[in-house]
Amino acid sequence: MTDAILETTALTKRFGALTANDAISLSVERGEIRGIIGPNGSGKTTFFNTVSGFYDPDGGSVVFDDEDVTAWEPHRLARRGLGRTFQIVSPFKNMSVRQNMLAVQTEGSRSREEKQARAEEILAFLEIDHIADNQARGMSGGQQKLLELGRVLMLDPALVMLDEPAAGVNPALESRIMDHIHELNDRGTTFVVIEHDMHVMRTLADTVSVFDAGAHIAEGDFESVSSDPAVREAYLGGTTAEDDEVPI
Amino acid sequence: MVDIGLFTQIVINGLLLGGIYVTIGVGFSLAFGVLEVVDFAVGEYVMVGAFAGAILAPLFGAEGIFVIPVVLVGFFALGALVQPFIHHVTTGDRPHPLLMGLVFTFGLATFLRGSVLTIFGPNNRDVPSSLLTGGVSVSGIGTFPVVRTVTAVFGVSALVVFMYYLYRTKGGMAIRAIAEDRTNARLMGININRYQSIAYGAYAALTGSAGVFIGMTFTANPGMGLQYTAFAFFMVVLAGMGYLPGVILAGVVLGLTQSFTAVYVSGNLVLLVLFAIIYLVLLVSPAGILGKGEWAT
Amino acid sequence: MTAATSVLDRLPGARRYWYASGGVLLLAWPLVFGPFWARIGLGALMWIGLAQSWNMIGGYAGYLDFGHGAYFGIGAFAAGVAMAQFGYPFLVGFALAAVVATVVAAVVAIPTLRLTGAYFAIATWAFAEAIKQTALVTGITGGTFGLSLPRSPDSFVGIAAPFPISEAFFYYAMLTLCVGTMALTYVLFERREFGFRVKALRDDQDAAESLGIDTTRVKRQVYVLSCVVAALFGAVHAWYIVYIHPNDVLAPIITDRMVIMALLGGLGTLTGPVAGGLLVFLLERLSSVFLGSTTFYLPLIGTLIMLTVLFAPSGIIGILRGEVDATDIRENVRALKERFNLR
Repeated sequence: MTDAILETTALTKRFGALTANDAISLSVERGEIRGIIGPNGSGKTTFFNTVSGFYDPDGGSVVFDDEDVTAWEPHRLARRGLGRTFQIVSPFKNMSVRQNMLAVQTEGSRSREEKQARAEEILAFLEIDHIADNQARGMSGGQQKLLELGRVLMLDPALVMLDEPAAGVNPALESRIMDHIHELNDRGTTFVVIEHDMHVMRTLADTVSVFDAGAHIAEGDFESVSSDPAVREAYLGGTTAEDDEVPI
Repeated sequence: MVDIGLFTQIVINGLLLGGIYVTIGVGFSLAFGVLEVVDFAVGEYVMVGAFAGAILAPLFGAEGIFVIPVVLVGFFALGALVQPFIHHVTTGDRPHPLLMGLVFTFGLATFLRGSVLTIFGPNNRDVPSSLLTGGVSVSGIGTFPVVRTVTAVFGVSALVVFMYYLYRTKGGMAIRAIAEDRTNARLMGININRYQSIAYGAYAALTGSAGVFIGMTFTANPGMGLQYTAFAFFMVVLAGMGYLPGVILAGVVLGLTQSFTAVYVSGNLVLLVLFAIIYLVLLVSPAGILGKGEWAT
Repeated sequence: MTAATSVLDRLPGARRYWYASGGVLLLAWPLVFGPFWARIGLGALMWIGLAQSWNMIGGYAGYLDFGHGAYFGIGAFAAGVAMAQFGYPFLVGFALAAVVATVVAAVVAIPTLRLTGAYFAIATWAFAEAIKQTALVTGITGGTFGLSLPRSPDSFVGIAAPFPISEAFFYYAMLTLCVGTMALTYVLFERREFGFRVKALRDDQDAAESLGIDTTRVKRQVYVLSCVVAALFGAVHAWYIVYIHPNDVLAPIITDRMVIMALLGGLGTLTGPVAGGLLVFLLERLSSVFLGSTTFYLPLIGTLIMLTVLFAPSGIIGILRGEVDATDIRENVRALKERFNLR
């Protein structure tokens, strides 16, 4: 068992003339929280989609948990232990919160009771168990975010990829979500998080990878990355005084 | 041994048919682009047009062809009346609004077909076309039946006028803008509602008047709509939904396919062949043979 | 969101009492009311079952199948061919209908379910028409002449049946199929996780995939199941009316009816097809009796589809559940009127 739970090698994805992901090589260690930042259109979500099987790569490979999963179908990857969320939350509107959780298809032979118990556990952990029987349609945005996280957790994933978990979320809920992520991370779940909110990124991520125009241009802890001239060029389009940090 | 004379005649027939089919196809494709609705009622507009010719013309003791102006105006009004309903359905707070638009037109088609059937009965009706009998023989090529030639000429002329409107006038540009990018069109101050009504009204007028000519060429029958809906789908599936230049080519292909199948295979199998092609193209290349269509969900 | 109120809750007495009486009535129907009403009853039961079959793929899974009626015809002709051309008893024809429908649906599902939305609707529509055209030209299905099925006491299982093959018999056959379909839908789609997965893929296919759901497989399973159910009804129908013709059992109106019944009743609900089926069926019957027209049901159905899509897209059940109420409809009408003024 290697240290890397997720490793992409020269992963490339093109859309016609546009190269959205240009030979991205990235390695995520087991148990870390990896942040991914980059300007809009730099290929972050495309990267998520290619890794999680929604796009077939035009080149390169993806190795997850010591297995080559390049071009696997999304549901297969999910059952293997790779969970992901989407930028725009979408709960299954016509079912209750609990049913949303039970719809998740896991690998292996878990009995119905075990699955229901697990769902209860997760809902309680996220503190949304009191609305478990409500229709997902009537939920607030914040509750929907929590449900999104809860559903992914039903997979018992070894790795969770979160696409902008703090987007459009009030500070209280944001801090709650961060606490949940930290706790899950302490229990052994690896995270890869795309975020634009630099405050979140600074406190959350162990290592940060920077994307720009389809390429993986920098990697390191938050401080070194934010003072990297290449990164500042990408965000600011020019250099500023060396002592300034990238605007947070 | 291929009979060249027969072959050429089949080609002529196919091209002439194609002339009127493109009119239907272009209107249908535009309706999709502007309203984002797959209009299941297209064939029924043809049918009602044919019936307008069959019923109105004898009422005024006139030829079918003189009914055309009435049909153009009447159908434009009909289209402008129907369009807000379609728009309401496709932009409302419903699940799968675009599909609901499709279901709505499906209901409209059933309504039109059923109404005509109930009111006028199941029998064929003729559209008076005594002015257009006979054919013109061009030696070395073939015979050009007058009614079909006039039909094709109308079809192509209507198409030219319509394309001129679309590509050379401000109104037409507005419509194309809406078809291409509705959000930005609205932001640029284009009155979406108004132009959608015009587009759908024009489409209904074109299709209805094509129906009169088709009624003159063949006959008017309450069940004929299905065939023309199939034809319209055939054209846009081949060309790619919303891609106008391809529709013109597809209309010609349709006319030729119909002509050749009727002679070399069997008249009964024309529809089967067309449906099979629609099905296969959708499976292999849903964005049309040239791959230029848009996905509709 | 308004609190859901069920009409049934307002009924006096325990619900169980009403269900039990209803059950007894259903069972005793032909015996109490005679063959004329048995015929009406079996027609209603068949359409409710057909609507429910469409509801599986169209309502629960969200794939608008505009060619579903083809499987009704396929079932009818499978039974017809088995009985009329090969002399097999009905039960063989019935089983054959299931087999043929399974095979055809499984094959068709593979390419067709890759399409979405409007393209799926068109493709299924084209498929159904192609099937009808094929039936009209091939000899084994009787071509343009149709097929006549034998109806004798031993055409049920091959040896003389101890009961008469009467209206009552067909009523009970349809009742069994209908109740079976309802039970199957309830268990599979409302109680089992399978149903959650189906609804999940309807609501957001990508999210469903990312949560381990093999949407392609689930879709195929629902499609094939819904087609087999329709085919079984077709088989019983074929033996009931004894003479089948492609223009009748493969007509587009069959799909039209299924669609409007499920839509009017409430897509993706268990009782929607029952409510919608009953209502549309009764309206059709009444209009043909009181208006003396055998085609009036067509514009009627067309109008119903349009009205439902416009004002009550979640159907009757949606209204009963309080999802749509009078204020919503008034709002809808007002918004619609506004569009006409914006010129």
